[in-house]
Amino acid sequence: MATLNEKKTCSERMENFRRFVWNPETKLFMGRSLINWVWISLYYLAFYVVMSGLFALSIYSLMRTVNLYEPDYQDQLKSPGVTLRPDVYGDRGLQIYYNVSDNKTWEGLVTTLRTFLTAYTPAAQRLNVNCTSNTYFIQDTFDGPNKTKLSCKFTSDMLQNCSGITDPTFGFPDGKPCFIIKMNRIIKFFPGNGTAPRVDCTYVVSVRANRAAFLLYEQGDESRPLEVDYYPVNGTFNLHYFPYYGKKAQPSYSNPLVAVKFLNITRNVELKIVCKIIGAGITFDNVHDPYEGKVEFKLKIED
Amino acid sequence: IQDDHKLSTSELEEKYGTSIDKGLSSARAAEILARDGPNSLTPPKATPEIVKFLKQMVGGFSILLWIGAVFSWISFGIQLAQGAESPFDNLYLGVVLALVVILTGIFAYYQEAKSTNIMASFSKMIPQQALVIRDAEKKELPADQLVVGDIVEIKGGDRIPADIRLIFTQGCKVDNSSLTGESEPQSRSCDFTHENPLETRNIAFYSTTCVEGTATGIVINTGDRTIIGRIASLASGVGNEKTPIAIEIEHFVYLVAGVAISIGVLFFIISVSMRYKILDSIIFLIGIIVANVPEGLLATVTVSLSLTAKRMAKKNCLVKNLEAVETLGSTSIICSDKTGTLTQNRMTVAHLWFDNQIYSADTSEDQTTQPFDQSSPSWTALSKIVTLCNRAEFRPGQENLPIMKRVVVGDASETALLKFAEVILGDVMNIRARNKKVAEIPFNSTNKFQLSIHETDDPNDKRFLLVMKGAPERILERCSTIMINGKEEPLDSEKAEAFQTAYMELGGMGERVLGFCHLYLPENEFPDTYPFDTDSMNFPTSNLCFVGLLSMIDPPRSTVPDAVSKCRSAGIKVIMVTGDHPITAKAIAKSVGIISATSETVEDIAKRLNIPVEQVNRREATAAVVNGMELKDMSLQQLDEILCNHSEIVFARTSPQQKLIIVEGCQRQGAVVAVTGDGVNDSPALKKADIGIAMGIAGSDAAKNAADMVLLDDNFASIVTGVEEGRLIFDNLKKTIAYTLTKNIAELCPFLIYIIASIPMPIGTITILFIDLGTDIIPSVALAYEKAESDIMNRRPRNKRKDRLVNEQLAVYSYLQIGIMQSVGAFVTYFTVYAEQGFLPSTLLGVRVNWENNAINDFEDSYGQEWTKYQRMYLQWTGYTAFFVSITIQQVADLIIRKTRRNSIFQQGLFRNKVIWVGIFSQIGIALILTYGLGHVTALNFTPLRFQYWFVAVPFAILIWVYDEVRKLFIRRYPGSWWDKNMYY
Repeated sequence: MATLNEKKTCSERMENFRRFVWNPETKLFMGRSLINWVWISLYYLAFYVVMSGLFALSIYSLMRTVNLYEPDYQDQLKSPGVTLRPDVYGDRGLQIYYNVSDNKTWEGLVTTLRTFLTAYTPAAQRLNVNCTSNTYFIQDTFDGPNKTKLSCKFTSDMLQNCSGITDPTFGFPDGKPCFIIKMNRIIKFFPGNGTAPRVDCTYVVSVRANRAAFLLYEQGDESRPLEVDYYPVNGTFNLHYFPYYGKKAQPSYSNPLVAVKFLNITRNVELKIVCKIIGAGITFDNVHDPYEGKVEFKLKIED
Repeated sequence: IQDDHKLSTSELEEKYGTSIDKGLSSARAAEILARDGPNSLTPPKATPEIVKFLKQMVGGFSILLWIGAVFSWISFGIQLAQGAESPFDNLYLGVVLALVVILTGIFAYYQEAKSTNIMASFSKMIPQQALVIRDAEKKELPADQLVVGDIVEIKGGDRIPADIRLIFTQGCKVDNSSLTGESEPQSRSCDFTHENPLETRNIAFYSTTCVEGTATGIVINTGDRTIIGRIASLASGVGNEKTPIAIEIEHFVYLVAGVAISIGVLFFIISVSMRYKILDSIIFLIGIIVANVPEGLLATVTVSLSLTAKRMAKKNCLVKNLEAVETLGSTSIICSDKTGTLTQNRMTVAHLWFDNQIYSADTSEDQTTQPFDQSSPSWTALSKIVTLCNRAEFRPGQENLPIMKRVVVGDASETALLKFAEVILGDVMNIRARNKKVAEIPFNSTNKFQLSIHETDDPNDKRFLLVMKGAPERILERCSTIMINGKEEPLDSEKAEAFQTAYMELGGMGERVLGFCHLYLPENEFPDTYPFDTDSMNFPTSNLCFVGLLSMIDPPRSTVPDAVSKCRSAGIKVIMVTGDHPITAKAIAKSVGIISATSETVEDIAKRLNIPVEQVNRREATAAVVNGMELKDMSLQQLDEILCNHSEIVFARTSPQQKLIIVEGCQRQGAVVAVTGDGVNDSPALKKADIGIAMGIAGSDAAKNAADMVLLDDNFASIVTGVEEGRLIFDNLKKTIAYTLTKNIAELCPFLIYIIASIPMPIGTITILFIDLGTDIIPSVALAYEKAESDIMNRRPRNKRKDRLVNEQLAVYSYLQIGIMQSVGAFVTYFTVYAEQGFLPSTLLGVRVNWENNAINDFEDSYGQEWTKYQRMYLQWTGYTAFFVSITIQQVADLIIRKTRRNSIFQQGLFRNKVIWVGIFSQIGIALILTYGLGHVTALNFTPLRFQYWFVAVPFAILIWVYDEVRKLFIRRYPGSWWDKNMYY
């Protein structure tokens, strides 16, 4: 088979390259004459201008077709996600560790809660209306100002002992900390099917996942299930906060909250706790999504 | 070689410790066998399989992918050490990349091995046997068991099993053509006739054939030490260099790898300076490499080549080396043998001369009648001589075969005459039986005639008929009359002149001329019982009546002139290289068109102008007939000059060694040279040529070993079909590569925009692999089935330095135009999916850090809804799927536009290549399966996509088609314009 000897020395290659970049004989710059470069650049300029135009046109017509009040599809939002405050994430999810005697370890947590609740001061909620009914707050028309819909007021005082008003430390130094559970907003989502959904917190009773709880169980400590105080009463999300009509319709809407206060946390043990939201239409058994319909976290209080 | 040819028998016996009567003892033979090894040629050293395999693993893009895999594992290691949440993604990615390399490597290796196996099975032959005297007994032994000193017996038809010093012969002739190219059988005797062992008559060489007679000899060389063995090892010394297509693919790999690495490094720097973490930057780098490398392409190329190889095998070109498929297409010079390749390799009567007139005979392969005028009584007389004065006979039992295919016992000329007579007269054997032969003198070189005396088949005519044929001048000498229109007329000087003219004319056509004469012996002098004695010649052998001349030639194959003119229009120079006489060579060259009707050689011009050859302006002559003797004395410059200045060249009387010189000369002109050959000593030339073509029927094993291609029917025309296929595959590979490269941009842009605009990742690395190795594979192979756009045989062969497989236009058009369109189409789909699910385009910009943050599970979209990390990830996978689907849809358009490079799709026909549709359906089918079938397997990152998203990119697919039609229209409309130069690839 053939010999095609294209072996060149390095200097030859360099020379060839230099000649390619600028060939003084043919006056070619990188294989083209300068005027040719101008033409080709103009062509590409025009080409890309047209392509950008087409792209812009496509996006423009896309924006014309989408509804600005609610998205066309909610394929991924069948069931709301649940989040916890304070939210300190470690390598394996939420991890809240602190030492009651060392206030540096919990001050950050308290601040997080306090900051979070600033959106729920009466001042922040002044645009919202007081709602009393315990049914869905369905609005088919735009009753609010500027073509908006009304939102129900949720103020932090509804969280009573965990509102930060009576106890600015949210019970952290006492070893009976408050946590706030928030359910994600989903437009036109009707949770609970007429019954207000409620928060329910328990130990994660999985032998492998929660060694501490298992140990407690072994020690015959089953008589001590997790004692929780829920605020508002029963840990429910009142139905009048639902459905949510979207940012454009309800600009001042704020999520209802449930605060949980753990009363009997064993010290110096890492506990795994899960807070689920119980209600029709809310699922918490998605194996892929640890935050759908529930929130799991590890809690360890040292002294 | 030793001086064995000079030694006497007893000296030889002593030297080799053997005995002529008893041979070696088995024990002694075994000893020597153990010492010398078996009597067979060592096959050319093959690359070990494992090396071939490993080469496939590191060749081409594999290195890049290995780098990607290693980076993946490194980042996995780092993440693992940092205790990150899901480090296994990178481990898997690395494994997948490694698997891709290994699988494509195995695939390429398998393809290569398969085509090699075809050859291996082809060259496998029945083991040869040899008749040996050992332990004073005659034994049949496998030829590879022979050892030096063995006494072997050979007879006509045998292949000589080793180099043999002959000690007893009887009418032995050998055909040394596999060694010297000389096809004339040479006689062999026990006499020392020449100092040079190659020339002396008492040595017969390994792998030559004994044509007739018997002989006994002592084995003096075995295996690789034989003359043939030495030539063969010489041939394997000529190195295997890269094929043109290998160079093209390497060029292409460099180009793509260059783009991949420079974009990768550029964006690595950009992402580092944009304060991305080094680890993230490395992951981007992997993505960019994976997006840039067309993982499936090399496998596709291999498949395309092997498809063509299969197609060529059907047309009698067996390709040994896949890449040779394309080499044949870029061939610019074919150096062809004459005998057997251009000609039918059998003597055939071409012309007759009687009644002062030349008649032409039909010389085609399958003649059933002869059209010339057979009404003259002279012809009747001539046909009788032709029939009777002939010792050749058909082998019995072939009555049902066409005459031209029947096997004949007899020499070439007699065979030609026998078949000629059989065609015209029918049943020659019967005619001979009716004209009983009473005496015969066979042809010999001293009297140069053949004579026989017959009774006539006319019961009333008791005369004997004496018929004679032979060298025309000798026959004429013996004649005093000549037959004109059936009447005997005195042979005067005018008639003798006419004979001379005819003889010269026929001879000038390179034909072998025979004269025929007869004489009816007077009944009174030669009665029924007359005792004819051929030794004393008691009958007249002069004053005969001259009847006519017949001339014979080995005629060209009927398909060859067409093939040669095809070569001509395809810009391929055909050079004839033959061992034959220049006149014959020139005549054949003229009749097949290698020398065209109008062109002249220097000698022709000299003759026409009546001036000495030296005075002719050599530039005026387009044709040249070069004698091997002249070639011997030529300098390289002179040879170059001849190759350069003459477009039509015939090398006559050349030795196979000179073939190598000619090939090298052509290669110095920058030509891609194809060489045909059959003999063992053609193998260096076959190796040296860009593509060596061995003859399947006439070729020796060594030639087949050295060649890249085997011509199963030995027909020159098959080479031309091969060239056509080779050119087609080059064009189609261009299309395949253009098709494949296009989507690389659509795969690359997501990474670049992801890094710069910080949007959620539009497409995943795994998804890219599914395009490159899934949906795209069958369509790109389908392009190999595309028909040629125009007559590719009207084009000059490609200039291997300028016409690259992947040229600038191809890369730029695919990358910067169609690729960009595809990217835009895919991004529109991406933004549509996100917008309709809640994330409007404006929200997406700059969102990356929070989007990918595991700690944010209430991520707000454009409508105020809140998303957990997994919900976002799932949406991101939906985006991947949408992007993937868009690329697939647009690749359908890309596939359709790549069917042609110049013609409109409507000219080419959308449905002519059915395989393209298989490609399109497979592409969409695979995409459907991935999306809806495997949409629930999380690891693959596909989701069941809403059906309408399949159509978002359709307008862009149509745009691609329309744009490309416009491009082609302008190319056709304005050839040579700026547009043509920049847009035609």
